Amino acid sequence: MKQVININFQGRVVPIEVTAFELLKNYTESLNKHFANEEGKEEIINDIESRIGELFQERIKNGATCITDDDVNAIIKSMGRPEEFADLDDTTSSQQNANTNNTSSNNASSSTQTQSTGHRRLYRDEENKILGGVCAGIGNYFGIDPWIPRIVMIITGIGFVAYLILWAFLPSSSNKVIGGVRKKLYRDADEKLVAGVCSGIGNYFGINAWIPRVLFLLPVITYILGRGRWGSFFDIGDLIRVALSPGSLIIYIILWLVIPEATTTAEKLEMKGEKVDIDSIKNSVMEEMKGVQSRAEKFGKEATAFASSSAQKINTEVSGITKRNRSGLGDVIAIIFKAFAYFIIGVIGIIIIVGLFAASIGSIGLLPLKDFVVRDGWQNVLAWGTLVFFILLPLIGALTWIIRRIAKTRANSKIIRWGFGAGWALGWICFFAFFSVLLKDFRSQNKVDEELYLSNPKVSQLEITSSSTESKYYGKRWFKLQSFNGSSEDSMLLGNMQVRIRKATNDSFRVVVSRISNGIDAAQARGLAQKINFSVNQKDSLLISDKGFEINKTDKFRNQHVVLTVYVPVGKKIKVNRNFGWWDNVEIDGPFVNEDSKDDYWNNEYDNYQHNWDRGKTYIMREDGLYDVDGNNSSNSKKGNTKVSIGPGGVIVKDGNTDVSITPDGISVKDGEQDNYRYDNNPVINKTLDSVKQSLINQQQKIKDSLEKKKQEIENQLNKIGGGTNDEPNEPYRISSYKFSTIDPLSTLN
Amino acid sequence: MNIENTASQMRKGVLEFCILSIIKQGEAYPSDIIDKMKAANLNIFEGTLYPLLTRLKNAELLTYRWVESNSGPPRKYFMLTDKGAEFYKELEATWFELANAVKALTDLEQQHSFNNSPDNNQDNNFNNS
Repeated sequence: MKQVININFQGRVVPIEVTAFELLKNYTESLNKHFANEEGKEEIINDIESRIGELFQERIKNGATCITDDDVNAIIKSMGRPEEFADLDDTTSSQQNANTNNTSSNNASSSTQTQSTGHRRLYRDEENKILGGVCAGIGNYFGIDPWIPRIVMIITGIGFVAYLILWAFLPSSSNKVIGGVRKKLYRDADEKLVAGVCSGIGNYFGINAWIPRVLFLLPVITYILGRGRWGSFFDIGDLIRVALSPGSLIIYIILWLVIPEATTTAEKLEMKGEKVDIDSIKNSVMEEMKGVQSRAEKFGKEATAFASSSAQKINTEVSGITKRNRSGLGDVIAIIFKAFAYFIIGVIGIIIIVGLFAASIGSIGLLPLKDFVVRDGWQNVLAWGTLVFFILLPLIGALTWIIRRIAKTRANSKIIRWGFGAGWALGWICFFAFFSVLLKDFRSQNKVDEELYLSNPKVSQLEITSSSTESKYYGKRWFKLQSFNGSSEDSMLLGNMQVRIRKATNDSFRVVVSRISNGIDAAQARGLAQKINFSVNQKDSLLISDKGFEINKTDKFRNQHVVLTVYVPVGKKIKVNRNFGWWDNVEIDGPFVNEDSKDDYWNNEYDNYQHNWDRGKTYIMREDGLYDVDGNNSSNSKKGNTKVSIGPGGVIVKDGNTDVSITPDGISVKDGEQDNYRYDNNPVINKTLDSVKQSLINQQQKIKDSLEKKKQEIENQLNKIGGGTNDEPNEPYRISSYKFSTIDPLSTLN
Repeated sequence: MNIENTASQMRKGVLEFCILSIIKQGEAYPSDIIDKMKAANLNIFEGTLYPLLTRLKNAELLTYRWVESNSGPPRKYFMLTDKGAEFYKELEATWFELANAVKALTDLEQQHSFNNSPDNNQDNNFNNS
């Protein structure tokens, strides 16, 4: 039983079955597409349609009550599908080219040639494809072996991205298959549980509707199961976290909004993407014969269906522009231009979407920390506003847009569009307001210094160690907002703490604890700084320090940080224990003078990577900086780091503070603070020899020094082996080596 | 190279020539043209014919007039213009040139294979006749 409708076709009233009418409509659409670039498009299609109308009439005259699917299929078969006469264009033009060559004097043939040059189009070649048919299509277009573009694609780095974009935007050659109804994503009203989204998806991918259903429900189920763990109260943060997990409520709602419901028969057919008639069977057989067309590939094709149709449209426009000089070159330029434009658009689009995703995930990850930063009231409102309107809304908007495009629903109501726009504008306002309000709270900075009382400031060595070994602090620089092991409901440990090693002015160790905080004004900053609960105390040669400090939700995070400055007298030793903090948190390369006048060096660029400095190693303070026990300078390239560069300007030798440059003008020496002086061309040599001699002596001294150190070390080792009987009163290594030898076996025993 | 493709290329190459020659014999209606071609065992899709006719018409090689039909709307009947007749002559000359050349070449080929493989004797005779 089939529904029959009357249509007015080329001036004839034709009774036709609904399904047959669909076939006919698809066929004429395909013709329209095929002849889109043809000059006499209207006329050609008119001719064909009127011929079809004639054939219809013939059938009805012969006694048929209406036009059936079979009739339409038979007619289409005799008329031919566009893809069956697709390449005629090329061959006719080439044939005419040949004619022109033969009879170039003939006006008629040359005019024919200009008028009927077939417009070659770049398609993805579905028949010779390996992946998406892009290279095969390019090969087709330029008449070269597809392996040439393939190899070029593989060799050039951009090949991959370019391939994906071309894949997405080039129309597929199989799009021109007529009668085969292209699948569209609809909500399936017949088999719905909620809104038919899942069963629609099931139809689209040809899978059981329960697969998407379970995927959608998974996060909700885990959420419900996990609620006991998270606390019984309803938390909007949790909800949003769940909502953003893949396949969740919000996505379901988006899909519900976006995907149209299949109501008419035609739509239902489109939803299933197949017809239960001879035509569909034939099509599927044709498809099978074409080669391996797995479900996944099909999906890819569907996803690009929108892309291809819009690309075709733009191509029409482009070709309209280039119609005047429809030469192959113009065409190629247009295509390159087009591909380039799509490439940029695609990259920007991907960046925006990925960025939005990252921002939303990042901000949701930061949610538990929000209360430590954001004050109640306006700040809180603005924070939520930023999250919802600035990050989540455009994300939802972008997803909606993509899905709509895939589903080919363009009925994008103005209200929704304006709503999205207004919401996002609001998001921008929230974003800027939030940060300006928040930055206000960080505007001032204040510092409270506390000179630590040392019970024994004259020890020969100080070892900085941690009071606890449990929690570890990672991360660098300031603004560390990680929550650590110690994080609880309303307090959080911060690792914003730094150690500085400086040279003391006298012979006793000094330790200064500087508590620094930002705040809305100087007074508040000072108050917050004073509240920092950070304790350090000395126990013989150990300086036991906290590795961080706590902040709570009432005081908030206002970039509180602590600088522990240890002044080491010349000749004394300092060591930072391995259990203490992160390697980067110790700064050794400061000016080795008192710099009390400077407030905050926290953000000074210092780079321990260039130093020979390491944790768990003992260093000796000397007049010009820290040295390790081997006598190597631990701070930045002051000695023993000679760089020689040979350039067009001459030879330049850099050794610490000394620069020696040998140029055609002569030799000049720049030495640290001293004034530059320069040798004249000739008397130089003696002096240079002197300086070379001097440096040799220095080197010798250095080697001597290090040998002596080694000797000391060996003696030290001997001491250890000898059980410490061979006492040397000034032996500074005894304590530390003793300590290590006892601690290590104990810990292994435990 | 696939045989079908090459064969259809060959057919397509002479399509315009064939159409012009049919129309030259007298005013023709597209389905007449198709029928005549079918009768001559040259099968093409009707869908191929219409764009070709339009192109030839746009090139002023053809012209048409509307002829009332006893069933339904009027039909387009195509005829050659003077320019078209000229064009046809050129094509015809080219065609015979080409046909002779092809014939000469294929004859040569057959002669060759005849010499090389006397087994195909019968076949060749059949082809030549």
